[in-house]
Amino acid sequence: MTALRATILVVEDAPEIRRFLSSSLGAEGFKVVESATARRGAIDASTHKPDLAIVDLGLPDYDGIELIRQIRAWSAMPVLVLSARAREDAKIEALDAGADDYITKPFGVGELLARVRVALRHAVRPSSGAGALKLGNVTIDLDGRQALRQGRKVHLTPIEFRLIACLAKQSGMLVTQKQLLTEVWGPTHATDTHYLRIYMKQLRDKFEADPVRPKHFITETGVGYRLVVDE
Amino acid sequence: MEKTLSPFTGYAAAAGATLLCTAAGFAMTPRFDIVNIAMVYLLAVVVIALRYSRGASIFSAVLCVATFDYVFVPPEGGFSINDIQYLLTFGVMLAVALIISALTERNRHQTEAKAALAIEAESERVRSTLLASISHDLRTPLAVIVGASSGLVEEGEKLKPEERIALTKSVYRQARDMSELVDKVLQMTRLQAGFMELRRDWTALPEIVGSVLARLEERLSAHIVMVDLAPELPLLNVDAILIEQVLANLVENAARYTPAGTPVRMSAALRGDEVIVSVEDRGPGIAESDLEQVFAKFHRGNGGSKGVEHAGIGVGLGLAICRAVIGLHGGQVWVERPAGGGAAFRFTLRVEKVPAAPVEVPDAPVEAPEAPVEAPEAPVKAPAAWA
Repeated sequence: MTALRATILVVEDAPEIRRFLSSSLGAEGFKVVESATARRGAIDASTHKPDLAIVDLGLPDYDGIELIRQIRAWSAMPVLVLSARAREDAKIEALDAGADDYITKPFGVGELLARVRVALRHAVRPSSGAGALKLGNVTIDLDGRQALRQGRKVHLTPIEFRLIACLAKQSGMLVTQKQLLTEVWGPTHATDTHYLRIYMKQLRDKFEADPVRPKHFITETGVGYRLVVDE
Repeated sequence: MEKTLSPFTGYAAAAGATLLCTAAGFAMTPRFDIVNIAMVYLLAVVVIALRYSRGASIFSAVLCVATFDYVFVPPEGGFSINDIQYLLTFGVMLAVALIISALTERNRHQTEAKAALAIEAESERVRSTLLASISHDLRTPLAVIVGASSGLVEEGEKLKPEERIALTKSVYRQARDMSELVDKVLQMTRLQAGFMELRRDWTALPEIVGSVLARLEERLSAHIVMVDLAPELPLLNVDAILIEQVLANLVENAARYTPAGTPVRMSAALRGDEVIVSVEDRGPGIAESDLEQVFAKFHRGNGGSKGVEHAGIGVGLGLAICRAVIGLHGGQVWVERPAGGGAAFRFTLRVEKVPAAPVEVPDAPVEAPEAPVEAPEAPVKAPAAWA
C-alpha cells in the first residue's frame, strides 16, 4: 500500500513537532507536506490532495476544528487530530466535525503510525458495512447478517447487529457515543449513554475471551468506542 | 467564630431571652426589688448584643424595657404617665446594647482578618512547598534528559549501538514521567481552584477497569494482576474520565512501590447503596501513622512507609487528586492495612437509579430461525442492574 507513497499533510504550528512528525513519517516511506497555519493547511489540502491529514487543534490563525470542517466540505480524506488538551470536549467536537481519530500530545511514534496505518487502510478500502469481520474465533457476515463461531451460529439481536455494523463502518477508528446512539437508536436517544453501556457489555460477553480485557470492543473513556478486527 | 446565622435568629433569640427574663422576674417578684429585675433584663440585652447583630440588640433593648415596664412597673399590666422615668432605663439599655454590639463587631472583624491572613499564609506556604517539590521532581528527569541527549548529540558517533539505545530510552522514560507529573499538577490545580466540573454520565465500572488495564499494561507487566468484579455491579452516574484517573493513580502507585512478581488486585462490590472499589497490593504497606497523611497534598512516601527511597511528589499529588475527585462525587477514599500485609486503597461511589434500559423485541426476524442458538439470552433486556 505504501508502494504508492501516500502523501500526508501535517498542519501543526510548533516547528519541533512538525520536524519529528516529518522524520518519523518520512522514515516509514510517506511523503510529507507541512503547513504551519490553518489557512496554509487549507490551501495545501486542496493543492496537494493528500491521502491523509494530521491536524493540530491549537493553530495560531484559526481553530483546527474549523479547518476540519473546511476539508470535510469537499473531501473524505481521513483526518487525524492532534490535541494537547486533556479536555475531552475538544476531541469530541473535532470528531463530530468530521475527524476520524485523535492522538493526545504527548504521544509516541508507534501510536501515531498505528493510527495513520489504520486510517489509510480504511480510506483505501472503505468498509461500507459490507464483507466479513473476524473477531477472534467468530466471523461476522455483515451482508448475510449473521455471526458464526466455528460454523455454529451466534445469536445477535437486531440492535446488537446494528451496533457492530456501525462500529465496523469505521473499524479500527474511534466512533463517538453520540454517533453510535444516533445511528443505532435514533437522534432522540443521542444522550442515552446507558443504552450503549448495556449493549457493549452484551457484545463483550459474546465476543471477548475476557470481557474486562477486551481485544475487539475497545472503550475510549468519555469519548466513544473503537472496533478492532483481526486481519 | 464564623457563624452563618439567618438574620431572624437574633430577633428570635431576643424575644426568647425577654420571655425568659420575664419568667425569672415573676419568680423574683415578691422577694426582690424591682431594680434587680431590671438588672436581669440588662443581662439579656448584654448577651444578645454579644452574640447577635446590632439590629437584634436594639430590638432586645426595646422589647426588654417595654416588657419590664408593662409587666413589673406598677401599675402592672399597663403603661402610665409615671413610666416616662423608665425612658432613662431604656436609654441605658440601648446604650449598653449599642456599645457591646460595636465592640463585638470590631472583635469579629479582627478575628476574621486574622483568619484570612492565616489562610493566605497557609496557601502561600502550600504554593511554595508545591513549587519547591515540583522543581525538585522536574529537575531530576530534566538532568537525565539534557545529559543523555547531549551525549547522543555530541558523542553519538562514538557510542556503541546498545549505549545509544540505552540513552535514548532513558530520555524517553524520563520525559514521559515528567509529562505525567505536569498533567497531575495541572489537574490538581484545576481541582483546587474549583474549576473542575463533573461531567457525569452512566458508566460501567468494568469498562473503566479495562481502560486502566490497557493504559497501564506496560507498568503492570512485572506484577500479577487480578481483577475481581462482582457480577451485579450497577451502572454508576460518575465522571468516567476522572474515575478512570483515580483508579489509574491507585494502580500505578501499587505497581511502582511493590516488588515485581507480587500481586495487584482490583476489585469492586456492591455494598448497600454504594459500590466499593479496592486496589490491594502485597507491598511494604503504609505505616499506621501515615494512613491519613498519604492523602495530604504533598506527602512524599518516605523511606520507611512504602519502602522506597524517594517516592516523589507524583504519588502525593496522585492520591490528593483521588481524594479530591472522590470527594466531588460524594464518596470516600481511604487506605487500610489488611491482615495479610500490604496496602488496600478503597473508595466508594454512590449508586443511583439507572433509567430504563431499551427494550428490544427478543426475536425480530433478522436471522433465519436456526437451532441450536449458541448464547442463550434473557428474552427481554431491561436489566436495572448491570447483570
